[in-house]
Amino acid sequence: MDVPVTDKIPHTQQAISVLWPSFLIAIVATGVFFSAFNPRDLIPFNLDIDISPLAAYSIGFFLFWVVAAISSYGTLYFIISNSRFLNKQNR
Amino acid sequence: MSASQANTSENTLYAAHKKIYPREVSGRFTRLRMLSVIVLLGIYYLTPLLRWDGRQALLFDLPARKFYIFGLTLWPQDFIYLAALLILAGLSLFFFTALVGRVWCGYACPQTVWTEAYLWMERKIEGKRTSRMKLDKAPTSAAKIRTKTLKHTVWIAFSLWTGFTFVGYFTPIDQLAAKLFSASLGPWETFWILFYSFATYGNAGFMREQVCMYMCPYARFQSAMFDSDTLIVAYHPERGDPRGSRRRGTDPKSVGLGDCIDCNVCVQVCPTGIDIRDGLQYECIACSACIDACDEIMDKMSYPRGLIRYTTENAAQGRKQHILRPRVMVYATILLVLCGILLTNLFLRVPLELDVIRDRNTLYRETREGLIENVYTLKILNMDSKPHQYTLTADGIDGMKLVTDEPEIVVPAGAVQELIVRLQADEFNMESRSVAVKFYLQANQANHLNTVEEARFVGPGKP
Ligand code: SF4
Ligand code: SF4
Repeated sequence: MDVPVTDKIPHTQQAISVLWPSFLIAIVATGVFFSAFNPRDLIPFNLDIDISPLAAYSIGFFLFWVVAAISSYGTLYFIISNSRFLNKQNR
Repeated sequence: MSASQANTSENTLYAAHKKIYPREVSGRFTRLRMLSVIVLLGIYYLTPLLRWDGRQALLFDLPARKFYIFGLTLWPQDFIYLAALLILAGLSLFFFTALVGRVWCGYACPQTVWTEAYLWMERKIEGKRTSRMKLDKAPTSAAKIRTKTLKHTVWIAFSLWTGFTFVGYFTPIDQLAAKLFSASLGPWETFWILFYSFATYGNAGFMREQVCMYMCPYARFQSAMFDSDTLIVAYHPERGDPRGSRRRGTDPKSVGLGDCIDCNVCVQVCPTGIDIRDGLQYECIACSACIDACDEIMDKMSYPRGLIRYTTENAAQGRKQHILRPRVMVYATILLVLCGILLTNLFLRVPLELDVIRDRNTLYRETREGLIENVYTLKILNMDSKPHQYTLTADGIDGMKLVTDEPEIVVPAGAVQELIVRLQADEFNMESRSVAVKFYLQANQANHLNTVEEARFVGPGKP
């Protein structure tokens, strides 16, 4: 069986395949999330922070991006380690 | 590239990147493409400057959580319309792909549009394809540094303008400009301007065709919408092969050749660096540069044009063509139905919302007259662009009375008004401990502006 040697994908391409899809998902998630919730209502009552809406949206966006990127990285990690494993078995 | 290197790059899925220097072309499709680029860039940079009713005509006002689209104001509650709009955009992409292939890629995709703009600046500064290649190969010199610095300065300036305009879609652009000139931009505004500028500079200046090849999801799945009747850019092998150079004015048949003179101009103009003569490839963004390039060669050779041309697989094979085929009809039907639903809903949309919250502290009270009283907080949201006066009524229990301290209910445009109201009813008329009641809100002098909201009325219950 021919197993693609996925771990030979250049590092920039690996980085793009993690950061790029998660970026797109983060945009969608931010849009959906903040149309349902006003950032002003999300600050717990006992906290007295004054945060501009733009800052709240931006931070929200980056949080979504990080979460989605972790998930993307997980996928990439499993693909690479599985392809190594299969290559070893096939040898 | 050594043999071993070539071998690894074959295994990596992504070939090692070679910088592409697209050769300049002219012709009818190139003119059409430039027109499209100019119109689209014009729309992008000018739209935020348009005014409507004393405000920015198109503004996705994030801080105020309102989207202004000319006469229409959308609230977070209207999110569904934006989602529907995006779905419609996606579906039209399907429809047009099935019909005319990747015209989107070649003529309208922002990646293409900005790449063309950056390429144009590059050509103005560094010259034609051959001089650009020479410049890059040349050793570092004062002249080279000067040319490169000039190019990057112009690119960066254009990127910054692009980033500024982008943020101008989300915060009022006149305020943004004022803040910029008084150097008082907020940290996040600054960040997003720089972020978008950097993305533009990177994508249009450097990544270019690699975005289409490695990052674009559409490029990957567009072939699913293709069939044998989809418009594609194709070389005509029966006519062109066998290829070979010859002197001008030679009759190809007399030397045993096809019409292709193997000049490679079609490859040199290709922004993705492929050879269209190898057949349809997913890298091809259907920009039609190779059509214009080859037509020019054919004219020079006095051969008929169209060795590379827009065609469909069926036409190329001499089969019958169908424009209206099931796939196109299905996409068109879904598109029309969704469009209809969206427009009807938008037309019937009542820019008024009423929220009723029962007083949480006391279930009910007894008035001096012995009536049961419930207290509610009403939130009236006037999403219209005009202020309105409203009439509030309620029913659900015989003889129920509605009492409020406000003499009249007036809500300014785009504002929320809170209102405390009390409902009073005779316990005798209540069928059970908790009865459903309805609040009716009607705008005066605007019949279509009305809404109903249900609430519970609680009493002591039947003994
Ligand atoms: S431009 Fe036309 S003639 Fe020249 S190589 Fe391409 S197909 Fe052949
Ligand atoms: S093959 Fe022709 S149409 Fe396709 S991308 Fe290259 S130049 Fe454009």
